Amino acid sequence: MANSNLPRRIIKETQRLLSEPAPGISASPSEDNMRYFNVMILGPTQSPYEGGVFKLELFLPEEYPMAAPKVRFLTKIYHPNIDKLGRICLDILKDKWSPALQIRTVLLSIQALLSAPNPDDPLSDNIAKHWKTNEAEAVETAKEWTRLYASGA
Amino acid sequence: MGNAGSSHAHRRRHAPHGGHPPPPVPHPPQPEMTGNRYVFAAATPYPPPYPNPNPPQYYPYSAYYPAPPVPLPAPFDHHHRGAAVPHMDPSLPHPNWGGPRYPCGPVPPPQTAFVEHQKAVTIRNDVNLKKETLRVEPDEDNPGYYLVAFTFDATVAGCITVIFFAKEGADCNLTSTKEDLGTVTVSFEKGLGQKFRQPAGTGINFSMFEESELLKMGDVGEVYPLAVKAEASSIGDNGSGSEKATQGAGINSQITQAIFEKKDEGEYHVRVVKQILWVNNMRYELQEIYGIGNSVDSDFDGNDPGKECVICLSEPRDTTVLPCRHMCMCSGCAKVLRFQTNRCPICRQPVERLLEIKVNNTGDENGNGNGSSVENES
Repeated sequence: MANSNLPRRIIKETQRLLSEPAPGISASPSEDNMRYFNVMILGPTQSPYEGGVFKLELFLPEEYPMAAPKVRFLTKIYHPNIDKLGRICLDILKDKWSPALQIRTVLLSIQALLSAPNPDDPLSDNIAKHWKTNEAEAVETAKEWTRLYASGA
Repeated sequence: MGNAGSSHAHRRRHAPHGGHPPPPVPHPPQPEMTGNRYVFAAATPYPPPYPNPNPPQYYPYSAYYPAPPVPLPAPFDHHHRGAAVPHMDPSLPHPNWGGPRYPCGPVPPPQTAFVEHQKAVTIRNDVNLKKETLRVEPDEDNPGYYLVAFTFDATVAGCITVIFFAKEGADCNLTSTKEDLGTVTVSFEKGLGQKFRQPAGTGINFSMFEESELLKMGDVGEVYPLAVKAEASSIGDNGSGSEKATQGAGINSQITQAIFEKKDEGEYHVRVVKQILWVNNMRYELQEIYGIGNSVDSDFDGNDPGKECVICLSEPRDTTVLPCRHMCMCSGCAKVLRFQTNRCPICRQPVERLLEIKVNNTGDENGNGNGSSVENES
């Protein structure tokens, strides 16, 4: 299917992701669709997500790299910029995409987003509100969700 | 001596041809491309006046072309680079790579303006002052005086002139605006990596001048506290294009203009502001191209992230985006890109022109290898 005529760029990116993975990040292509990646991101230390293992899916559309990859959290996560469907509010996945970015840089950006939630630009209004009114409590909830849903089991 | 072009031109690129236009990529710079900075003396010949239908509003246009034979007070200076972020959006980028967010709203339609795609013409520079080596050293014989010193490469013999408070006149002639300060001219033989230091007693005593004069950037008046002119006495043994250059003004030269900077210890240091080439009666401004240092090394193996096109990750980079001067793409991907977006992949500034530069690595052993070929303009 989509594997025929896979652009060399995607092949190279895949090889490099497998041979030199970024710390705390793994991404491997699906066997039946080389444009679909199973991703795991470890919760960054000193964040409410520390200790969690977060699964994501990443898909490279036909236009890639002229268009951004599509990325979504599969693991439930309590984060003001991630909604309950796992969609991520991150500029480089939308209007700030550049073809110089890669799968690796996208995943590093998502990892950084976990370290720096931005409730001023929310995707989940409720969570953002929680974050802004009582950050300590919101962080506790995020930790709790990490234990409940992202414990790596 | 057209050399490089043909083999690349026919390769098939793998960049996808998307049926759907992607969202435009707005501006904020990314922390990318920290590779070597490399001064490349290639430039296009002065084009017919203003071929670009959309001259930039935030940059004087002449900066990207060699100025015409009549010297202009070239208004571009490197330090405005960061300020050249497009005018439409004053909200500036987060410096934080992972941090920036977008307001989750509709994405504006893409705009793909006409972008000119040119090939570089390589011009030859017989004498090159290595600008990072330019400095002042105390004159042991004359306490309080400082001497200008630097390292340079010369493929022909010639002479070097040091001028303080130099004003640039017609045909790149430099004159000192201080009558009591003589200019110093020293001749040299050809050779690479030569060390220059002006003769003792001809230096500058900083205490004799107002600090503001020493620190001042050459403005429209174009007086620089320090200028060094390196002239080639002849056009070189192989004499390409020398017939036209019989007049005095035809002597090829390189001018380095600098200001002094006062460091914390109170000592003055030299900072190069601009380098100008005067070749065959044309004035060119030298500008750095970001990323070229990675692409001119030979033995491109197609698998080094520092040398490859950022889009296909396969071909060597040979195309520079103007005006931002990011050399980041192969010509094939550049051609695809310009139908998709008008933003530089590296910094997201609008693309006005694409300049294809083939570096000739097969030059002779005398240090002339940095290109003597001329590509035809497309």
